[in-house]
Amino acid sequence: MSVPAIHIQGLTKSYDTVQALKGVDITIEEGQFFGLLGPNGAGKTTTINILTGLVLREQGITEIFGRDTVKDYRFTRSQVGIAGQELSVDWFFPIEKLLYFQAGYYGIPKRKARPRVEELLHRLGLSDKRKSRLRQLSGGMKRRYQLAKSLVHDPKILILDEPTAGVDVELRHELWHYLREMHQQGKTILLTTHYIEEAEMLCDRVAIINDGKVITEGTPKELTRRLGRAGITVHLAGWRDDLPDLLRNFTYTHEDGRIHFTVRDPEGEMPEIISTLARHGCHILSVETAKSSLEDVFLSLTGKGINEA
Amino acid sequence: MSPIVNWIGLWTLVKREVGRFFAVYRQTILPSLISSALYILIFGFTLQQRISEIGGVPYTLFIIPGLIMMNTLTNASANTSSSMLQMKLLQQLPDILTAPLSSVEISLAYIIGGTVRGLVNGVLVLLLGVILLDMPIQQPVMTLIFIFLVSWAFSSMGLLLGQIADSWDQLAMMQNFFLTPLSFLGGIFYSVKMLPEWAQTLSFVNPIYYMINGIRHTTLGFSDSSPTVSFLMALLLTILFTVLAMILMHSGKKIKQ
Repeated sequence: MSVPAIHIQGLTKSYDTVQALKGVDITIEEGQFFGLLGPNGAGKTTTINILTGLVLREQGITEIFGRDTVKDYRFTRSQVGIAGQELSVDWFFPIEKLLYFQAGYYGIPKRKARPRVEELLHRLGLSDKRKSRLRQLSGGMKRRYQLAKSLVHDPKILILDEPTAGVDVELRHELWHYLREMHQQGKTILLTTHYIEEAEMLCDRVAIINDGKVITEGTPKELTRRLGRAGITVHLAGWRDDLPDLLRNFTYTHEDGRIHFTVRDPEGEMPEIISTLARHGCHILSVETAKSSLEDVFLSLTGKGINEA
Repeated sequence: MSPIVNWIGLWTLVKREVGRFFAVYRQTILPSLISSALYILIFGFTLQQRISEIGGVPYTLFIIPGLIMMNTLTNASANTSSSMLQMKLLQQLPDILTAPLSSVEISLAYIIGGTVRGLVNGVLVLLLGVILLDMPIQQPVMTLIFIFLVSWAFSSMGLLLGQIADSWDQLAMMQNFFLTPLSFLGGIFYSVKMLPEWAQTLSFVNPIYYMINGIRHTTLGFSDSSPTVSFLMALLLTILFTVLAMILMHSGKKIKQ
């Protein structure tokens, strides 16, 4: 079995009297697009900050490609590119120079970094702004610069902390597109987000973190199937007394001819429901399906929506 | 296999630190020259009417070594302390802390940056003395070594303060209430022999007194304190502050959560 790209086990962290992490366990295989989903204050940023050396580890294991992130920091940090939640501000140097500095910190001399810096400036639409200072860039450009900075040493793992927080829809889609491209090129991506849609669209595996603990993990599909609250609503011409007997194998509620079936997989279970009703001569007026989302999963696990937790 | 020393990383951070203060030379280099020239003009030429000579040299010449030291140490410490605090407050520090750089490499890069600024400022004031007053330099090599050593010591001290401080206010307090008074009381404008005995005794516990007298000896050839003691004091401060700054950086206590 191959060594996981990221392995976190029993990770704890306290700030004064607050226990921010209460034993986080996460394993991310190489090449995965992994989403760490949770509300603000759940422990997402603390987890990745410990992994990248910004926060001191208290207890537990944090490994990158099987190597300890504290003892073997030179190796582990060289494998990771990080785009943090906070945008850094440098008043002194143009962004092109800042990218060369960033490459230098990772041991890459200027002449070797040049093609990569050029490619990133071009790919992220920053070529024209190469001589600008960060304060002269728009919010969207700053985000793109931040992504370029995290990729300048061509890391195998990309860690993004809330990359689309506070950005407009257009830029969000642009960033998603770029991240998909990075993933297709083989990069392992760890993304923290509190946007359900983002995790569902991009990630092939998701862990939900709440109150300093991972409460569930799986593919978005698995999670919604297992924990979602999807449903099918069938509107009949009228209620019949024999229906409770016919539908005894289903979970449902009804009101004025509208029957709401609670199902895990609406698409898979709809044909059976429709054929049962049709076989017994029920007149179906309409059928609606409500697809489950990770929001439902979060709701069913915590009793709260992700943005109200 | 990871390298034992990330030389390119270290060199890059040194370039950044040096480039940072050269980019704002109007704030970091020119003020030393202007204020030193003013000190020479105002203090030197006016007080020279009353104090003709100290130790056999004109008063205006007497104050130059003190001005060199004051500019060297304030600039060296200001560079590291302000750069560190700025990086903390403006979220630039994560770029360095997440890179494969050791705490020793990060500390060294900052200290070298501050040392270069201290050295540049000290040497420029020295040249000002040579050009304006035809100042003699008895031991040129020792003078440069001394300026370098004091730059390193106070650059390390600045790094220590920059890590400890959480705001500009705290940093300004440390500079205004300790560094500047100690510099002025270290004998820039007077010989401690001109002070009453109790004040002389107080001067002996002021480390900056030894720095000023050390360079006064290497340039003008006389000093209140023994040149060996001055040199050893500079060396001691260099080692002490370098070790303390590196230990604090390694612990991560003030820069990591």
